Amino acid sequence: MGIAELEFDLDIFSGPFDLLLTLILREEVDLRELSLAEVVVSYLDHLEARGELDLEATTEFIVLIAALLELKSRLLLPGEEVDELLDLEPVEAAEELLARMLEARRYRAAAGHLSEQLALAPEVRYREAPLPPELRRADLDDAPAGIWDSQSLARAVASLLILPPQLDLSHVLVARVSVAERISHLRSMLRQAAQLSFEDAVSGADRMTVAVTVFALLELYKRGELSWDQAEPFGEITVRALARTPAAVPR
Amino acid sequence: MSSELAKTVEALLFLSSDPLSAEELGEATEATAEDVAGALAELAEDYAPGQRGLLLREVAGGYTLASDPLAEDAARVLLGRPRHSSLTPAQLETLAIVAYLQPVSRPEIARIRGVNAESPVATLLDRSLIAESGRSEFGAVLYRTTPLFLKVFDLQQLEDLPDPSEWDATPEEQGELRDRLLAAGDARSGTTIE
Repeated sequence: MGIAELEFDLDIFSGPFDLLLTLILREEVDLRELSLAEVVVSYLDHLEARGELDLEATTEFIVLIAALLELKSRLLLPGEEVDELLDLEPVEAAEELLARMLEARRYRAAAGHLSEQLALAPEVRYREAPLPPELRRADLDDAPAGIWDSQSLARAVASLLILPPQLDLSHVLVARVSVAERISHLRSMLRQAAQLSFEDAVSGADRMTVAVTVFALLELYKRGELSWDQAEPFGEITVRALARTPAAVPR
Repeated sequence: MSSELAKTVEALLFLSSDPLSAEELGEATEATAEDVAGALAELAEDYAPGQRGLLLREVAGGYTLASDPLAEDAARVLLGRPRHSSLTPAQLETLAIVAYLQPVSRPEIARIRGVNAESPVATLLDRSLIAESGRSEFGAVLYRTTPLFLKVFDLQQLEDLPDPSEWDATPEEQGELRDRLLAAGDARSGTTIE
């Protein structure tokens, strides 16, 4: 369905969109009375009801509503600001223009004077200026009094030289688990049973130990001492000793 | 033989790149205004034109040492540039408006000149002849002239600029202008009625 046939039910109008446009253009519907926001809201309702966005139709709608908005704003603001001079009576305009011309003339003459002054200035040079103030990082005038006191400099440095006290970490228990430790743990367990579950190997262990045990597993796998299976993610891990595990090989 | 104070003042003038006022010199040397004036008079004699390669000049509200015009040609070769580059009519007009009406905003300059002042203002800023000086109540940047302006135009203070009304049109000229404007206005409205 195109925009034209779209039905609107507004405060001052009810019917298809193209009829609304025609009436506005014939000035049978007063655009100033028409709430364009209402039109937009109705259209959005319509879009939502359809559940899909027809880009072409929507573009057409945006163009039309934009044109209506411009038209309406022109209607609402009849006296747009043009050059103020145009609003003035000829005599007033001439006076205003005259005042401006006289002012401009004054400063053109002043410019002429400056030019002469420049030509007349003696050919002397002055010591080159230092950086302009806005480029200087700091101005001595802005510095607080006493900044040159060497004692204050010493105090500032001294405060930087004092080492902060070392933090006491004795109350923090650092869990120390080594891969070697977990390897011997796994080996000893595998010596007793050729197969075990990972859960059993880490029962009651903290996260760190569990993680290091995984490293130990990998290490032993690399050495060909064991292998494992996991049927599904997060499932049970079954660790099996391989034949080469020295202790597991029955003699 | 110069007095000790005259020598000290001479040294301070040598060290400073900005003109030093008699007050500043007095403060630095802890001498009375009278003594400073005496020392400056002594120096003025020592540095009278023709005596040395330097001149004692009173400019931009203070005293400063300047090179003798005699050295200008050599200085130009040594420093590789003229004392100051020339200013275009637009820049001069803008500078004149800032000099007389400061602090003044760019829109105000444009209103008086009848044309955009962006370019001349930028150039004058670039050459440090004018500087920003706060903002107007409407938020426009205000400009004023700098001490360099006084140096370049050999002025001791802004008050040394002549009264600009001396260039204003005479009442007769103004009347003539007004008549011409009105005639032009009549002619234009006449043609639109036809």
